[in-house]
Amino acid sequence: MMDSAPLVFYTLAALITFSSIMVVAARTPVISALFLVLDLFLLACVYASLNANFVAVIQVLVYAGAILVLFLFVIMMLNVPRVRSKPRIKALDGLLITMVMVAFLYMLYRVIAQYLSPLPVESAGGSNTEAVGKLLFVEHLWAFELASFLILLAMVASIVITKKRAAP
Amino acid sequence: MSPDHYYALALIMFVCGVIGITLRRNLIVIMMSIELLLNSVNLIFVAASKAHGLVDGQVMVLFIITIAACEAAVGLAMVIALYRRYGTIDTDFYRMLRG
Repeated sequence: MMDSAPLVFYTLAALITFSSIMVVAARTPVISALFLVLDLFLLACVYASLNANFVAVIQVLVYAGAILVLFLFVIMMLNVPRVRSKPRIKALDGLLITMVMVAFLYMLYRVIAQYLSPLPVESAGGSNTEAVGKLLFVEHLWAFELASFLILLAMVASIVITKKRAAP
Repeated sequence: MSPDHYYALALIMFVCGVIGITLRRNLIVIMMSIELLLNSVNLIFVAASKAHGLVDGQVMVLFIITIAACEAAVGLAMVIALYRRYGTIDTDFYRMLRG
C-alpha cells in the first residue's frame, strides 16, 4: 500500500496553514474568499493523498465550486468596503491562481493515477468510490434521504428570508 | 504518516477559524471562518477513516459537506436580509443596536 510521502504532506500542511491564516487576516472579504478557495483545493489534495478520491472530487465540486461561488456572489451583491480603484493586487492574484491550478492538477493526478493502475484497495470490493457508494446507499440510506430533505428546507428558507417584503 | 500529523493540521485550521469568529467584525468573514471549522473536522474524519481502514468517515464527510451547503445558503440569505434592513454587515453595529 503506497502511503503519502511526508514531503508532500508537509508542503500541503504549510500551504494550508498559510492560507487559513490569510482567510482570517486578509483585509477585504474577496481576498479571504479566494484564499478559502485555495484552502479547499489544498484540502482536496490531502484527501486524494489519503486515497479518499470521491471525497476529494466532491470537495472541489461542491465546496470550491458551489459554496464559494455563493460567497463571492453575496460579496458582489453587498459591495462592502470600497476597495481602492487602483488594481494593486495583481501579483497576489497570479500567485493564487497558480497555486490553485497546481493543487487541482495534483489532485487530478492522484485520482486518475489510481484508476489507470489500480492499487490494491484495503477495503474489500472495488475502488474507493464504490465502497463509499455502498456504505452511503445501504447503511446510511435514511441519513441520505434526510439530507436531501434538509437541502430542500434550506432552499425554501433562503428564498423566504431574502424575499422582499412590503416595508414594515 | 501517523494520523497525529493530520490531527495537528486540523487543530491549526480550527484555531484559525475560532480566531476569525471571535476577532473579525465582517459577517461574511465570520461565515468563512465557520467553513474553516467544518473543514478541519472533515480532515479529522478522512484521516481517521484512513487510520482505521474504514470508509464510514468519508460518508460522514459527505453529510458534513451537505450541511455546510445548507448553512452557507441560509446564513448568506440572512446576511443579505440584514444588509437590506440596516445597510451594514459590521457586527459592531448590531451590538450597538442592543444598547
